[in-house]
Amino acid sequence: MPADEVPGGQLAGAARPNQPAPADALHCVGLRKAFGGVQAVDGATFVVPAGSISALIGPNGAGKSTAVNVIAGAVSPDGGKVRLFGHDITGWPAHRVAGAGLVRTFQLSRELGRLTVLENLMVTPRGQLGESLWNVFFRPSAIRRQERQYLARALDILAVFGLYELRDHYAGQLSGGQKRLLELARAVMAEPRVLLLDEPMAGINPALVAQIAGHIEGLRASGVTVLMVEHNLNVVESVCERVIVMAEGRTLAVGTMAELRAHPEVVRAYLGGALSAGTAR
Amino acid sequence: MQVVYYAFTLVFFFFAYSVLNWGLNIQFGGAGILNFAYIAFVAVGAYVAGALTAGPPAPGSGQSYVLGAHLPFMIALLCGGLASCGLGLFAGFIAFRRLRSDYLAIVLISLSLVAYDFVTNYVPLFDGPDGLSGIPEPFSGAFNLNANSFIFVFDAFSAVVMVAMWAAMSRLTRSPLGRALRAVREDQDVAKALGKNVFRLQMTAMLVGSFYAGIGGGLIVFFSGAFNTSSWTTPETFVVFAAVIIGGLGNNAGAVLGSLLVPVIFVELPKFLPQLASQPALVPEIDNMLIGALLIAVLWFRPQGALPERKATFDDLMAGQARW
Repeated sequence: MPADEVPGGQLAGAARPNQPAPADALHCVGLRKAFGGVQAVDGATFVVPAGSISALIGPNGAGKSTAVNVIAGAVSPDGGKVRLFGHDITGWPAHRVAGAGLVRTFQLSRELGRLTVLENLMVTPRGQLGESLWNVFFRPSAIRRQERQYLARALDILAVFGLYELRDHYAGQLSGGQKRLLELARAVMAEPRVLLLDEPMAGINPALVAQIAGHIEGLRASGVTVLMVEHNLNVVESVCERVIVMAEGRTLAVGTMAELRAHPEVVRAYLGGALSAGTAR
Repeated sequence: MQVVYYAFTLVFFFFAYSVLNWGLNIQFGGAGILNFAYIAFVAVGAYVAGALTAGPPAPGSGQSYVLGAHLPFMIALLCGGLASCGLGLFAGFIAFRRLRSDYLAIVLISLSLVAYDFVTNYVPLFDGPDGLSGIPEPFSGAFNLNANSFIFVFDAFSAVVMVAMWAAMSRLTRSPLGRALRAVREDQDVAKALGKNVFRLQMTAMLVGSFYAGIGGGLIVFFSGAFNTSSWTTPETFVVFAAVIIGGLGNNAGAVLGSLLVPVIFVELPKFLPQLASQPALVPEIDNMLIGALLIAVLWFRPQGALPERKATFDDLMAGQARW
């Protein structure tokens, strides 16, 4: 038994020794990605502990979105490693990363416009029997059973997100805030192990910010690890226990929001005079 | 009596074009693949099905083509559909790996032009510009038909094919597979982020659409008994696209309506206009102008087409009833 284990308890912040699952949901080492002459991500290294809500903050152009794109497989990195629960997923195509349980949202919400709100959720589950041509023609009853399960879950989720009444509207007809909610609802439907949110609070009103923050905390309570890129530092402070600061493609500092406010480099690079305003944008 | 035969000829083209339109509809309306090479897939089905039913070229006939095998026409028809799938597989591997929307369309146009030039100039394949002719009429051995009664029997056969292919297509469209295809059409990146294998889904739409193109082409070659390079030129591509867009992209009933409106009414009716001996090309040009005008009017006033894509509802599933 390791010396630092509390009797009857578990290692602080680490996996129990007899449990093979690593404690880090996401482990990025030396990520590098250049677009032409611009080194967008330049050796970023950080860890997202399983079960945490972590934030990725930093000035515009710090490489946050590129880092998210690299992790999610939307762009392939020039160097470095991405590990998801200890498995190397570096350079995997996006659909395979999603298949491994890492689901991402987009900076500008991207609904499937000419699918209904309900369909946006119904299309989400992975490994649907009904997506195989063979099954469509030869296993209709198995598909129907699965569809009923999906439908029940989708309607529950829509009710939680306040979108139930809008279920038969085309997603393209929703307001900006409703599209944000739909995107998050879709992410919940996907049953991710790790959820990557790219600016979930961008362009929405304060009441909705609180609502979405509540949904994100609910997700964590159900065991999902969350990493969010966010500029609204009030939200970051209240929701995220762990904050990663990026600047110029590198990881500048990691800590709680309170610790970072005392970090001279972070203040210089990002927080600056924004402390009093609570947001930096 | 001539009028009756003519009417039944139109009925045949209505059936055949419905099949063709569904194929393009699942690709373009369903998965968002702008397949400007569609008519080349029709041609592959027609050539392969036609050549397989015909025997080898008779010595001294001056014809030269491959595949002549005296196969029963239904097997040949199926082979035509599968051959078209083969081209779809090839085109998909070139196009879907890296390309999207406009670039994909450009590559497919190029593919169609290359195929056209190849078939025109490489005479040993399907006899170049002369093409296939004298393809045996289906059922001729079985029912002792003449050239006219053949039309009725083949119309009936085409109707059966059409109904079967409609049933299959409408099941596919309403299935989770159809839904996933529409997700790919709406936003590939989102589809990928949800774990959809976009390449596999696009390829599925491509292959199913190609099969429909091939079967449609096969029906046409058996009906007309001949097929050559003038049968699959740019105006033919335009007719199928116009039919699908005017009928309503993404709606299988719209594809049927489109096949009635464009290839049957707008292409055939102007043929009743009095011919001007000095201007023999006038009527086909009027065809194209009318279809063009109709297409512009539809895109301007009703871009979703005559019968828009239906909104998916899950009411029946909620009520525990079958939607299959």
